[in-house]
Amino acid sequence: MTDPQIAIFMLGAFILIILLGFPICFTLVAMGVGFGYYAYYDPERMHSIFDNRIFDLLVNQTYSVMANDVLTAVPLFLFMGYIVERANIVDRLFFSLQIAARRLPGSMAVAAMATCALFATATGIIGAVVTLMGLLAFPAMLRARYDTSFAAGVICAGGCLGILIPPSIMLIVYAATAGISVVKLYAGAMIPGFMLAGLYMVYVVGRATLNPKLAPKPSEEQVKDMTRGRVTVMLLTSFFPLATLILSVLGAILFGLATPSEAAAVGALGGLLLAILYRALTWERLKESVYLTARTSAMVCWLFVGSWTFASVFSYLGGHDLIEEFVLGLQLSPVMFLILAQIIIFLLGWPLEWSEIIIIFVPIFLPMLPHFNVDPLFFGILVALNLQTSFLTPPMAMAAYYLKGVAPPHVQLIEIFKGVMPFLSMVLIAMVLLYNFPGLAHWFPDYLYGK
Amino acid sequence: MDKLLFFVDRVSAWVGKAFAWCILIMTFGVSYEVFVRYVLSSPTDWAFDLSYMMYGTLFMMAGAYTLSRDGHVRGDVLYRLWPKRLQASIELVLYFLFFFPGVSALIYAGIDYAGESWSYREVSIFSPAGFPIYQFKTIMPIAAFFLFLQGIAQVIRCIICIRTGDWPARLHDVEEMETALVHQAEREREREMQQASMLGGEEK
Repeated sequence: MTDPQIAIFMLGAFILIILLGFPICFTLVAMGVGFGYYAYYDPERMHSIFDNRIFDLLVNQTYSVMANDVLTAVPLFLFMGYIVERANIVDRLFFSLQIAARRLPGSMAVAAMATCALFATATGIIGAVVTLMGLLAFPAMLRARYDTSFAAGVICAGGCLGILIPPSIMLIVYAATAGISVVKLYAGAMIPGFMLAGLYMVYVVGRATLNPKLAPKPSEEQVKDMTRGRVTVMLLTSFFPLATLILSVLGAILFGLATPSEAAAVGALGGLLLAILYRALTWERLKESVYLTARTSAMVCWLFVGSWTFASVFSYLGGHDLIEEFVLGLQLSPVMFLILAQIIIFLLGWPLEWSEIIIIFVPIFLPMLPHFNVDPLFFGILVALNLQTSFLTPPMAMAAYYLKGVAPPHVQLIEIFKGVMPFLSMVLIAMVLLYNFPGLAHWFPDYLYGK
Repeated sequence: MDKLLFFVDRVSAWVGKAFAWCILIMTFGVSYEVFVRYVLSSPTDWAFDLSYMMYGTLFMMAGAYTLSRDGHVRGDVLYRLWPKRLQASIELVLYFLFFFPGVSALIYAGIDYAGESWSYREVSIFSPAGFPIYQFKTIMPIAAFFLFLQGIAQVIRCIICIRTGDWPARLHDVEEMETALVHQAEREREREMQQASMLGGEEK
């Protein structure tokens, strides 16, 4: 076997071993070391069995993850998310938005969607948003005789927006993987992110207007009429603090006042202050947030340790070149290449989580982008849109399972899936739009930072 | 064996949790830097080094703790469908094939790497303050050592499961909010079912 063939064997074996369910980061490290030992084997230098350059490679890759100045933002944003998640903020947010939106068709669904979007953006953690809203907004909508599928779709789709709208943790991870600027990627994701949220909103209002049975108007008793002043006060104490926090974090990053990690640190501090103001910060909750931050950071960053070791051995053996040659040999047009790549990523989203897809599989596509004249920033935003679907499509729709887990027993999983489908088509529309108008992603970063 | 398992679990959790507090140091340290830079326009010369050192230490030292809580991602589409004994048997083999060799390599190479850094008292190239970084590089073999230790505990877990047919319980700890809420909802549902069946019994 030639070296490139061994590299392909290495990748194939790795994919098989993933299916055995072993923690992936350790598989990557071990396979990197094992195959690397072969790749860097040099009989001249062998004074003992440890004289192999793979060991230098392993520590160097590990150290470059440890001292990576982009990934420093990951634990900080996670910490901010865990704190905000525990700040008793969701119920205030939902209640006040619901009052504020009471004259719109499908007011509760609109409020639920807005709450999900804002809260998901602040926390960046999907499961928490879906379960919290599943306990709060979902029963409220069912009591107001909303259609079960419709209400479920709103919560699942809204809860996933946090991975696209900045300051998303997934985009930081993509930026670290692709070696592009987080700031530009954030700027690029702004318009597509709001566009998707807007499409969701249009769907919710449109559906509720066309078919009022899905989302009946609340009776006068259910929503007490409040003066405009009361509503404003409620919004001022619930919606605006969180929105201000997110906007100042984002603004600081986009206008170059602070690096993403600095903004994340200030955001975490702001989250702590918010929790104190809402009298929600207890010692117990602080401890929980700190420990969960450590665990999730370890999960993401150890994956990087494994992946970077694995990937450098893989490309040293010539694996990347072979794949590139193969794909170029297919004579694909850039459009076909992009569609193929997105289909593969979509399929990977069934069995795998976003972290594995971005850290391990996306790097296989990245070296091919220049051949097809695809900007890695544009590609990243397409991937982020695409990964929305991986949480929503059966069989591995995490968002739907979380909602099922907390929903009243009579709610069927199939009803949830049915409700999610229209939102999936919105994602598809957003992808097609982005595809045909790449300016949606490029205009804002170009406007802010020039070409 | 149970005792050893819980002892190692506890050590890993203690180490991971102790270093988890780095996040607070990081939050306050970096926020302080932003404050002095904009308000007093005199940036610090240590905040940048502090941020990546806290981050690196945090996630490296939490590796073993995360393993003990089964927090490292795995592709478990097929895995979760298998009977527990089969899960444990395969995992046992994989620990020896894929876990110990890689982690041992990291300990071995990490000691070398850190030793070299200690030998000339390496300092950071990023800051004018000349922050030392040999202690930071030492984190690598230490974290790998705790992972190795936790690996032994995981092997014991597998053996217990193969023997008894069930995974041994884990120490109580914080869960992700979604997991905690789903469990809570399950418990409430069960309680309601019980109450309903009790009421039904009385009526008869």
